[in-house]
Amino acid sequence: MLTLYRPGTGWMHRAPAGPKAFVLLVLVLAVSLLPSTYLAAGIAATVTVLGYLVTGLGLRELGRQIVSVRWVIVITLGAQLLFLQTEPAIANTSRVLAAILLAAMLVLTARVADLLDAFERGLQPFARFGVDPARVALVLAVAITTVPVLIRLASGVREAQKARGAGGGLRAFVIPFLVVSLKHADDLGEALTARGVA
Amino acid sequence: MTSEPAAAPAEITPRRSARPVSRLAIDATDIARIAVFAAFIAVLGLPGGFAVFGSVPITAQTLGVMLAGAILGAWRGAIALVVFLALVALGLPLLAGGHGGAGVFVGPTAGYLVGWIAGAFVVGAIVHAGRRRLTWARTILGVLVGGILVIYAFGLPVQALVTRIPLPETALQSLVFVPGDLVKAVIAVVITMTLQRAYPRAFRTDRFVGAGGASAVQSTAGAASGTAPGVSSGTPER
Amino acid sequence: MSSAPILLEAVSVRLGERLALDDVSVRLDQQRIAVIGANGSGKSTFARLLGGLVAPTTGAVSVLGLDPSRQAKELRRAVGFVFSNPDAQIIMPTVAEDAAFSLRADKLPKAEAAARASAALEEFGLSELADRPAHDLSGGQKQLLALCGALIRRPALVIADEPTAYLDARNSRLIADHLLRDGKDQAGDRAHRLVLVTHDLALAARCDVAVLFDDGRLTAVGSPTEVIDRYEASLVC
Repeated sequence: MLTLYRPGTGWMHRAPAGPKAFVLLVLVLAVSLLPSTYLAAGIAATVTVLGYLVTGLGLRELGRQIVSVRWVIVITLGAQLLFLQTEPAIANTSRVLAAILLAAMLVLTARVADLLDAFERGLQPFARFGVDPARVALVLAVAITTVPVLIRLASGVREAQKARGAGGGLRAFVIPFLVVSLKHADDLGEALTARGVA
Repeated sequence: MTSEPAAAPAEITPRRSARPVSRLAIDATDIARIAVFAAFIAVLGLPGGFAVFGSVPITAQTLGVMLAGAILGAWRGAIALVVFLALVALGLPLLAGGHGGAGVFVGPTAGYLVGWIAGAFVVGAIVHAGRRRLTWARTILGVLVGGILVIYAFGLPVQALVTRIPLPETALQSLVFVPGDLVKAVIAVVITMTLQRAYPRAFRTDRFVGAGGASAVQSTAGAASGTAPGVSSGTPER
Repeated sequence: MSSAPILLEAVSVRLGERLALDDVSVRLDQQRIAVIGANGSGKSTFARLLGGLVAPTTGAVSVLGLDPSRQAKELRRAVGFVFSNPDAQIIMPTVAEDAAFSLRADKLPKAEAAARASAALEEFGLSELADRPAHDLSGGQKQLLALCGALIRRPALVIADEPTAYLDARNSRLIADHLLRDGKDQAGDRAHRLVLVTHDLALAARCDVAVLFDDGRLTAVGSPTEVIDRYEASLVC
C-alpha cells in the first residue's frame, strides 16, 4: 500500500502507536516553542539527529526525509532571509524543519492499521458527544481502500482522453473523473448497505 | 456497530428518507461519498499532476476542497476534508508532492490544511444556502469566500506564527499563489454548474434530505433512470 | 403470509420517472432461481427488491418470511449480496480485513472473527493473499473475495447481480461453481438459496427455475430451458 512506513524491528517500531504518538507530539511542541536563536537551532538539530539515531532509523533515513521536504526548506528559508535577519531566519527554518522531521518519525515506525486502531481507541472518550469511533474508523478504512481504486479510474479517464485526442486540461479531466468517482461511490454505498452498514 | 437507536423508523427504506433532518445522520451512502471524495482529493494531488502556468506545478487539491463543499454540502464536505487530512496524519503520502505524516501539521502550511476543512464547509453553506437550485452567483460567491478567503484566513496567521515572520510580510509573500487560486475557483464553478446539468444526482446534500426529496436522490433510483450520459460505459445494466 | 421463500403480490417499483417493476406477482420455492432479461428490463431492480435495497412503491413482498420494507435489517442479515463490479465491493484495505468485515454486525470477538475469516479465505483459495492489499488482487480474485465476504456469514439467501459480468471465462466458471453448488458444503451446512441475475444463459440453465423480465413486467416463470427458449425466440427480429 502507498504509505510512508519503513519496516523495522527496533524498539521504536515495537512501541505501541498511541503512546508513541503522544510522546512525539510533546517533543514536537517543545521544539516548536524554542526561541529564534542559533543556540535554539542547535538544540533542535541535535534533538532531531539524536532522535533518528536512538530509534534506529539512522542518518540515511534522516537524509531521505530532509530531501523529501526540500521545497519547504527552500521556501521557508528564502522568505525568512527576505524579511528577517540571518540569525532568526536560520533558527526559524531549522526549528520548523526539526518539528517536521520529528513528527515524521511516527509514520515511519507505525503501520497505518495500528495507527487506525490507536485512533479509534483515542476517540472513545468522544463517544458521549455522539461521535461513533467505529464509524469514524470505518470511513477512514474505506477511504484508504478507495485511493488506489480512484488512481486506476483516473488513469482510465486520462487514457480515454488521449484516445479521443482531447487536451490535457484540468477541467477536461476533472469532470469525467468526478463523475466516475461519484458513480463508484454509489456502488460502494450499495455494497456497504448490503454488507450490514445502516 | 452504529450508535443509532434501533427503533429508528428510518428502516422503511435502506436510504435515509425518513431520518430526522435536524441531526447529521451519516448512512452507508454518505460513508461511501465522504470516503470517495477524500480519495478524490488525494488523487488530485498525485505526482504527474497538472501544469497550469507553463511549467509551474500548482496543487489541484484546493480545487478538490472547493468541489467537496459545492457537491457534498457543508457538513459532508467538511467531513470529507477531515477524513482526507486524517489519512495524511496517519502517514499516507497524499498531499501534493507525496507529503504526509503528522509533520505537515506542524509545518508552515498547517493552517492552510485546517483552513481546507472550514473552507469546504463555507463553500457548501453558501452554494447550497436556502436549499434552492444552484445559481452561478451563489456558486461563485461560495467558491471565492470559502475556497480562497477562508483558507487564507486560517493559513496566514499560522504561517506567520510558525515562521515568525510578521503577518503583513507573510501575506505579501503568499500573493504569488492567488492567481492560481483564482484559476481553480473558476474551474470549480464551471465544473459545479456543468455537473448540475450533466449529473444532477451528484448533489445529495444535507438540505435536500426532506421527506419528499429522497427518491430523486436515491442512488439506485438515479442509476436506473439514466441520468448519467456518456460516462457509464462498461457498466452493466441495473 | 405464506411460507414460500419468495413471494411478491402486485409489486410495482417506481424509480424516479421510470416504472422499473410493473405489477409483478410471483411465488418462488425453488432453491436456485435464475433471473434473465434484456438491459433495463427490471431484473436488477427485482434483485435489489428481494435484498431490501429498493423499497416497493406498491404491493407486498415477502422474502424468507420477512418484509423487506419493515424488516430490512433482519433481511440484510439473512441475505448475502454479490454485485458485478469487483472494485466497488471491497471495503477494507487488506484481504483478510475485508473478509472479516461482513462479521462486524455480529460483534464477534476479534480473534473469532479473524479465525472465521481465515477459514473462509481458505475455502475460496485466498489464504495466500490474506495480508495483501485488496487492490493488488486480479479481477477474478477480487470477485472471489466479494463472494467470500457475502458467504462468510452463511446467509440463507445469496443474491448475485451479474456476478460474472467483468470476468473472463475461467473466473466466471469458478464464481458460478461456488454460487451454484447444491447439497452440503464442507462445513456440513445446507447450501444457500440463490437468486442469480445473469446474461449468461448457460449459467441460467444450471438453475432450478428461471424468471424472465421484459420492460418491468415478469413475462415467464418456469423450467430454465423453456424460459431461455422463450427469451431467445423474443430476440429474433
